[in-house]
Formats: sequence, structure tokens, C-alpha cells
Amino acid sequence: MLALLGATTLVLVAGVPWMLPAAAGGTNLKSPQNVEVCIIDDTFILRWNRSSPSVRNVTFSADYQILENGAWLQLPGCQSVASTECNFSSVKLNVYEEIKLRIRAEEGNNTSPWRYVDSFTLFEKAQIGPPKVHLEAEDKAIIINISPPGTKDGGMWASDSSGFIYSLDIWKNSSSGERKTKTVYSRDKIYELSPETTYCLKVKARLLPRKTGAYSPVYCIKTTVENKLPPPENIRVDAKNQTYILKWDYAQENVTFHAQWLHAYLKKIPGDNSGKWKQIPNCKNIRTTQCVFPKNTFHKGIYLIRVQASDGNTTSVWSHEEKFDTQLQITLFPPVITMKSTNNASLRVYISAPEESENKPVNHLYPLIYEIVFWENTSNAERKILEKRTDFTFPQLKPLTVYCVKARALIQDERWNKSSVFSDIVCEKTKPGNTSKTWLIAGVCAALFSIPVVIYVMKLLFRCISYVFFPSSKPPSTIDEYFSEQPLRNLLLFTSEELTERCFIIENTNTITAVEETNQTDGEHKKYSSQTSQDSGNYSNEDESTGSKFSEEFLHQETE
Amino acid sequence: MTSRCILQTALLVYFSTTVLAMNYNLLRFQLSSSSVECQELLLQLNGTSKDCLKDRMNFKIPEEIQKSQQFQKEDIVLVTLEMFQKTSDIFRRNLSSTGWNESIVENLLATLHWQKEHLEEILEDIMQEENFTWDHRTLLHLKRYYLRIVRYLKAKEYSVCAWTIVQAEILKSFFFLDKLTDSLPN
Repeated sequence: MLALLGATTLVLVAGVPWMLPAAAGGTNLKSPQNVEVCIIDDTFILRWNRSSPSVRNVTFSADYQILENGAWLQLPGCQSVASTECNFSSVKLNVYEEIKLRIRAEEGNNTSPWRYVDSFTLFEKAQIGPPKVHLEAEDKAIIINISPPGTKDGGMWASDSSGFIYSLDIWKNSSSGERKTKTVYSRDKIYELSPETTYCLKVKARLLPRKTGAYSPVYCIKTTVENKLPPPENIRVDAKNQTYILKWDYAQENVTFHAQWLHAYLKKIPGDNSGKWKQIPNCKNIRTTQCVFPKNTFHKGIYLIRVQASDGNTTSVWSHEEKFDTQLQITLFPPVITMKSTNNASLRVYISAPEESENKPVNHLYPLIYEIVFWENTSNAERKILEKRTDFTFPQLKPLTVYCVKARALIQDERWNKSSVFSDIVCEKTKPGNTSKTWLIAGVCAALFSIPVVIYVMKLLFRCISYVFFPSSKPPSTIDEYFSEQPLRNLLLFTSEELTERCFIIENTNTITAVEETNQTDGEHKKYSSQTSQDSGNYSNEDESTGSKFSEEFLHQETE
Repeated sequence: MTSRCILQTALLVYFSTTVLAMNYNLLRFQLSSSSVECQELLLQLNGTSKDCLKDRMNFKIPEEIQKSQQFQKEDIVLVTLEMFQKTSDIFRRNLSSTGWNESIVENLLATLHWQKEHLEEILEDIMQEENFTWDHRTLLHLKRYYLRIVRYLKAKEYSVCAWTIVQAEILKSFFFLDKLTDSLPN
């Protein structure tokens, strides 16, 4: 009994720590809550909430794991942290690599369970910080120089720095302050400003597809006094045969001009590219407001062109840097149309590429659609359709009417807006009689086909009728098979031919009279008469041949 | 008469909408011609007589690109943009050891940039029109792939053999780009 009591007490004492673990060494530690990762450029912050608000000697520690490895490593900057956030920017990690984090609360030897953060990559959680901006003023423009967010080499945006798209907001510092938003390069100019005015601006960087950064602080600058020599304006490039013609506008006379070009991609690279502008051939120190240069100066690409004016003493600032896309200068040639009128008052249209001239048109290289204008010759009502096919029909038009058509080729992209001139007008008259004509033809054909059918049917009918009303006396052929012997045949069949027999009637020996007797149908008729002692009967035989034999014998006897 | 009028209007509306839907036809044409030009230019960069076999490296092009899984057309725009962008970044690095003709490299960069700009325009349009869910996973894998190439070049100190290996790798990536372009809808 006592031993039992002692054993129970022992078990209870030993069991209590198991059942009440909290009773062992203080309160139970709960893991941190609402853990989130906050990354701006190259600053990585881990934040969380305490599970219980009571302030004690609770610290927090975090680990990280590169998913492919499997081992949990200590997160630098996040070991035994007293506050509810830590900065782990010093971790050396590939920003595109998937990692997992875990954090727990610690108090002395006591630790809470781990709280895990779902796997993520640093890049996907990163937000773009504000870019740095440097400004320089001209009289009617501001030169901006944007440095990409983040650190220069390495860091979060190392691979993507040339992919940033910068959005700029600019407004006059004065009362009205109407804001304009533009997309700018990292080294760019903002034009069409007023001289001696203070402008304020702010810039943000974007990365496609969906990362938008924070705005930079607002910078303000005042434009300078207006220059005596303004820069050229309205720069444009036209293509003609194998050359490009660069044109611009300039109000003053007696000035010389100077044009330069630059690869547009150089603007996307942060850094100074002022030394990379190159001279456009035939466009230095010219007095006219245009210059002509060969097409092969520029390979396929996007370029920037700027022009400067000079009157000998002073030079103007550079003009607006005009974007020049070589592919937008292509000339589309008008297509060639042929039209045919088909039956049922329709018109069939064929569109073909223009003939090869010496210039070798580039039409065939691009996917084209055609804008077709279609109208009745007498009216002015035009129908416009867009058609991709080169062979199509206008159905169900008015018969015996003249319709006209003209078409032009378009590049099928609303952004490009490139079209050829209209082709020559082609007119054609539709054929007459639509449905009635077809019915007539159909009827004639049907009639032609039906004649042999009708004849055949009539023949059958006639056969039927004649079989019923005018039967044939000819025996059916099957009887021939069964009754091939002649006597039986004669017995069964009533032939129309008469069996004739030559009979000799002998009355006296003196007179011999040949009498012919005909057999009657009901049998053989024997007729003889004998008056002499010589009883020579006349035997009528079945066949004539024996009869005639007998008569010959008799004659022979007589002559003896 | 009214029925014919309605038919004509319907035809006009139909053809107008097909014009907008056919945007991808022009893009597909542009992408394939840009790809051909870039490959031609890459092949014009003359090779080296040195034996570079020991410098060979498996850059592990992403499986999604290699196996040309079915992408949505918007994702194809994003992926091809990334490829042109990153190829352009690579060829702007230190090429002094190669002795390659500078104007060929400039033309290559110009062509890459031209196509990139047009892809960006289309992407901006897509972003304005719809709230599309992008395939971030493939994009991430692609970024990792190009980072491997850049790190390799840095580790080999932009040697001529390293550039020769990278030139071959970029040509290979254009092959997969062509397959992606072909899967654009008509």
C-alpha cells in the first residue's frame, strides 16, 4: 500500500513536467506574427510583430535557406535582435534565387517555435527606390541627368539598369502649376519652356512589366535668359529614292547649320555620351535649311538627330533631338487591281503587288492589308472596306450597273499609320439577269436530263399495256425447254399452219383422180373408196412423203 | 435595302476589329526579321583561331524556353523583350580582347535596340488595356540565365575564348526565340 502510494507520487512528480511544460521554466514563448519582408533597392528589411505585448528580455533570431541547398543559415543582421525589425542587406545572395526565411523569439534558453516565411526571391519583393536627378538650365530647355536607383555596380538592379523607363512630372513653380508628365531617357532635355521661369520636377523609374518606383524629391531650377540665336525647329526626315532629306525651320537668315546623329540606344545607358555624336555627311556648315544624305548612312535602327545654327560669332544651343526610325521611312507602292464581272451580278476583284520597278518596292516584305473604296459610277456613295485577302467578291450587286473600285495598301498596325497612295480607278459593268436566268438554265438542263428518263418510263408503260390488252400468241420460251419433241409439241400446240395431205381417190382402174383432201383439225380423215377388186386403199399417212411414195408405187404397178 | 445596309455595316465593323486583332501579325514579322538580321550580324563577327573547348560552359537555358511550352501572346512579348534587352546589355560590355569589327557590333546593338523599343510600345499598350497576370516564373528563370552568362564573362575576364563561347550561346538563344515567335497567334 505504502509502496504503491510512493510509486504513484513518483509518477505524478515525474509526469507533471511533461503535462505542464510551461510550469517547468517560465511562460510559454509564442513565435512572432505578421512577418513580412520589405525590400527597397538594396535595403532588405525583415519586420514582425510580437506575439505578446509584454516587454521582457525577448530577442529574435532569423535564418535563411537557399532552397536548393537545404541547410539553414543564420541571417546576418538578424541575430538576437531586440526590436521588431532587422536589416539583412549584407547577405550575399543571388537576387533571382528562391529563398526561405524563418524567425523565432528567444528568451534565455527558451525559444519559440519557428515562424516560416513562404519562399520568395529578393527580386520579386523588391521595390524601386527614388532615382537621383541632376539638372542644368538653358534658355528654353532643361537638361536632365538621371542616375538609376540602387547602387551603381552589383545590387538589385545590376542587370536591369538599362531597362528603366523614367517618368517625369514638371510644372511651373508659379500659381497655376499645370503638370505635364513625360517619359524621358536618363540623359535628356525638356523643351518648349519659357525663359527665366522656375520649373519644378520629380522623376520616378519603372521596370516592365509591373514595377513602379517611388518619386524622387522635387527639384526646382530657373531657366536662363533667352539666347540671341535660337536653335532650329521642326526637324523632320523624308525619304526619296536612295536618299534621306533632312529639313528644319529657321527664322533668321545668314546662318550656317550643322547636323549630328547618335544611336538612340546610347541614351539608355547611364553615363556621358556627349562625345558619341557623329557628323551627318553633307550637313556641315550649310546655308540651306535642308541637307541630303544617302540612305546607307544608317543601318536599320533608331537614331537621334540634332541641328545647331551658327552665325560666325555665336552658336545656338542644340535643337530638339529628333527621333528617327529608319523603318518608318519605307514607301508603300499602290497595288494593282483587276476586276471581273461574274454571273449573278457579282464582281470579283483581284489585288496584286505593283510591278517591280528599278527601286525594288518593299511592299512584299511587310504584312499588308488593303483599304478598298467601292462605289456605283453614277452615285457618290462610297463604301470602304479593309480586306486582307487579295481575291474576293462583291456579291449580289445591281445587274447591268457600272461599279468602280480603287485601293491602297496599309501596314496593319495602327501605330505605324503607313499607307500607299490610291491605285488607279478600275470600273466594270455587272452582268444581267440574275435569278431568272439561272432558273431558265436550270430548267433547260433538267429537261434535257429528264427526256431519256421519260422515254424509258413510257416504254415500260407501253409494254405493260400491250401485255394486258394485246397479248402475244407466241408461247413463252420456257415451254421450248420442256417440249422439244415434235409430235408431242404438235399435240399440245395449236399451230396455225395446216397440215395438207395429198390424197388420191381411186374409183375405177380407168380413172385415176387425184383428189386432194384436206385434213380437218379434229383428226386425220381417211377417205378412200375402192370399187375394183384391187383393193388398193388410199392410206393417208401422216407425212406427205409416204403418200407420194405410195402413189409412185401404184403408178409403177399400173405401168407393168 | 436596309438589310444590305446592315450587312455592310457589320462587315465594316468586323474588318475593323480584325485589324486590331492582327497586331500580332506585324509583330511576328518584325521579330523574325530582326532575329534573322541579328543572327547574320553575329555570324559576321569573326571567330578566333584559339582552342576554346576547355572554356565551354552549360548556361542552362530555361526549360520553359527550351521546351517551347505554350505561352500566352502577352507573355511572349515580355519574354522576347527580355531576351533582346539582355543580349544588348551583354554586347555592350568589354569587347576589346575579341578584335571584332566595331561597326558590326554597333549595327547589332542598333537592331536589338530597335526591336526592343517596338516591343516596349506593344507591352505598354497591353498594360493599359488589361489586368493581365504575367508569367513571372519564366521571366525570373530567364534573368537568372543571363546573369550566369554575365558572371561567366566577368570570371573569365572577358577573354576572347569566353566571348566566343558567349557568341555561340547567344546564337542558340536566337534559335529558341524564333520558335517562340512562331507560336504567336495569327
